[in-house]
Amino acid sequence: MMYVRAVPTTDVNRNTEWFTYPGVWTTYILILFFGWLLVLSIFNCSPGMAWTIVHLAHFSVTYHFFHWKKGTPFGDDQGIYNRLTWWEQIDNGKQLTRNRKFLTLVPVVLYLIASHTTDYQHPMLFLNTLAVFIMVVAKFPHMHKVRIFGINADQ
Amino acid sequence: MITIPYLTAVSTYFSYGLLFAFGQLRDYSRRIFDWWSTNNLQGYAPICLAHEDFYIRRLYHRIQDCFGRPISSAPDAWVDVVERYSNDNNKTLKRTTKSRRCLNLGSYNYLGFGSFDEYCTPRVIESLKKFSPSTCSSRVDAGTTTVHAELEECVAKYVGKPAAIVTGMGFATNSAIIPVLIGKGGLIISDSLNHTSIVNGARGSGATIRVFQHNTPAHLERVLKEQIAEGQPRTHRPWKKIMVVVEGIYSMEGEICQLPEIVAICKKYKAYVYLDEAHSIGAIGKTGRGVCELLGVDTADVDIMMGTFTKSFGSCGGYIAGSKDLIQYLKYHCPAHLYATSISTPSAQQIISAIKVILGEDGSNRGAQKLARIRENSNFFRAELQKMGFEVLGDNDSPVMPIMLYNPAKIPAFSRECLRENVAVVVVGFPATPLLLARARICISASHSREDLIKALQVISKAGDLTGIKYFPAAPKKQEQEKNSIKLD
Repeated sequence: MMYVRAVPTTDVNRNTEWFTYPGVWTTYILILFFGWLLVLSIFNCSPGMAWTIVHLAHFSVTYHFFHWKKGTPFGDDQGIYNRLTWWEQIDNGKQLTRNRKFLTLVPVVLYLIASHTTDYQHPMLFLNTLAVFIMVVAKFPHMHKVRIFGINADQ
Repeated sequence: MITIPYLTAVSTYFSYGLLFAFGQLRDYSRRIFDWWSTNNLQGYAPICLAHEDFYIRRLYHRIQDCFGRPISSAPDAWVDVVERYSNDNNKTLKRTTKSRRCLNLGSYNYLGFGSFDEYCTPRVIESLKKFSPSTCSSRVDAGTTTVHAELEECVAKYVGKPAAIVTGMGFATNSAIIPVLIGKGGLIISDSLNHTSIVNGARGSGATIRVFQHNTPAHLERVLKEQIAEGQPRTHRPWKKIMVVVEGIYSMEGEICQLPEIVAICKKYKAYVYLDEAHSIGAIGKTGRGVCELLGVDTADVDIMMGTFTKSFGSCGGYIAGSKDLIQYLKYHCPAHLYATSISTPSAQQIISAIKVILGEDGSNRGAQKLARIRENSNFFRAELQKMGFEVLGDNDSPVMPIMLYNPAKIPAFSRECLRENVAVVVVGFPATPLLLARARICISASHSREDLIKALQVISKAGDLTGIKYFPAAPKKQEQEKNSIKLD
């Protein structure tokens, strides 16, 4: 039985503090892997198509929850994070921490796997590249609190 | 330090991910459904933002029957819990007229003053007849009676400070007094697991807030050094005032604060210490004087001592104890004193009588017996739970013991199973605790007898086996002999 120690963090934001506890990275990778197995069993497609589907689903889900939705899902913090997306909230806004580097790496690795297993054919390659481009640009330190053309800005 | 099995951590994240995903799916379908139906509230703004009550609607409401259970008797060692039923999957709960007599492991009834007491209750009833339930006024207008003056003297003497001020509500004591003590240009350094009342007071004060790792004096020293060197944000001028806020017993962990080290560090860097003894006053220490007595810290070293009367004294309200100048300043400036209605006179009488019982001034040694019993009960219960293999937090002597559950599904399972066996426990989950660390919090009382505790242990063990929360290996059976000899004592 492997035990880990859970050291309480200094992050007061309950919305992002769960990401600092042990086991999150493993769970994330396991969800992606089991998602791939699920897609393979349901759609009966080639492994490459399954990875593409997982990559694109991962893109839409994480873009929506990390970079589009703002605020926190509970009202206890009186709305002080209502203008910040989840990506801007983690680690108290500090850039280039280990968590952020890991979360930037996962879509890139998924992209590499998806494009390799589909043998770099179109149209999958185009969709995959577009997805990873948007994902990685959204996670740049320079994009902290930037709203391009006012998309998703507050009134 | 909490030790989690790795598999449990991973499966807990999976469970929350699944619950979250289903909640989002339901929200989407509700939005599509509502788009077709007519909305007769045109022009009105929504009461709360759609995302803000996601957690309440999709996670909390599903297990709502485990929280907020109404009781229909005094919160003694045994309590009558009202039964409720729901016709719409726990979205609304309706009370029935039936109630069940349950062993009460959830009330903060540390010294057993939560129900009829042979010394306190007659005096409270007398005071109720002489004064009235409410003073109908704030302290400065017409709300100060002789009982209030006696109470403040009594509390100051009990806690070991020159003077004290008493307010009518414990939460409001923190959230109304911290803004008066410190303002813009000041620095508040608070423990990461401080109570919401302190967080509210700190946010309301306008001072800069920094957080240090829970109960880690080394990290506190590092934060203090950094902040003093940097000064105020942007202008880098020196801070006007630095205040370190800690609690005596942390209510969700049952841990006792490392007060001697923290006081030494604050003296070195010239910061004020604010100690919130909500759970520790009256419950720990040889004569019940709280964490200062237990750890041997001189009360003159702690600048502001705050506490509440709801836990060990069976009443309501809170107090602040400090130097005469501090209390005089608070009496002129604190809104809880100037504008809020003063504490109800019979409640004040209950506190005075409870303190007299604890100190033995009522002519009997019931106070000393109660204190000894709560210490014995807590240590016995904690040792037995740990032997069974549960993960129990908290230090020895602390009457608060959280049992770790972790998985969100085990929260309602444990709570309902215990209720079925007539034991009432309190379970806490996200966001009161971190996401991973959901727990069932047991509060031991001096009015629990040894048979009550043994029955509770049996029920908790059975519920623990069913829900699979015995994360540590149980102690070997050889110690069964020792347990029997303790029972006979």
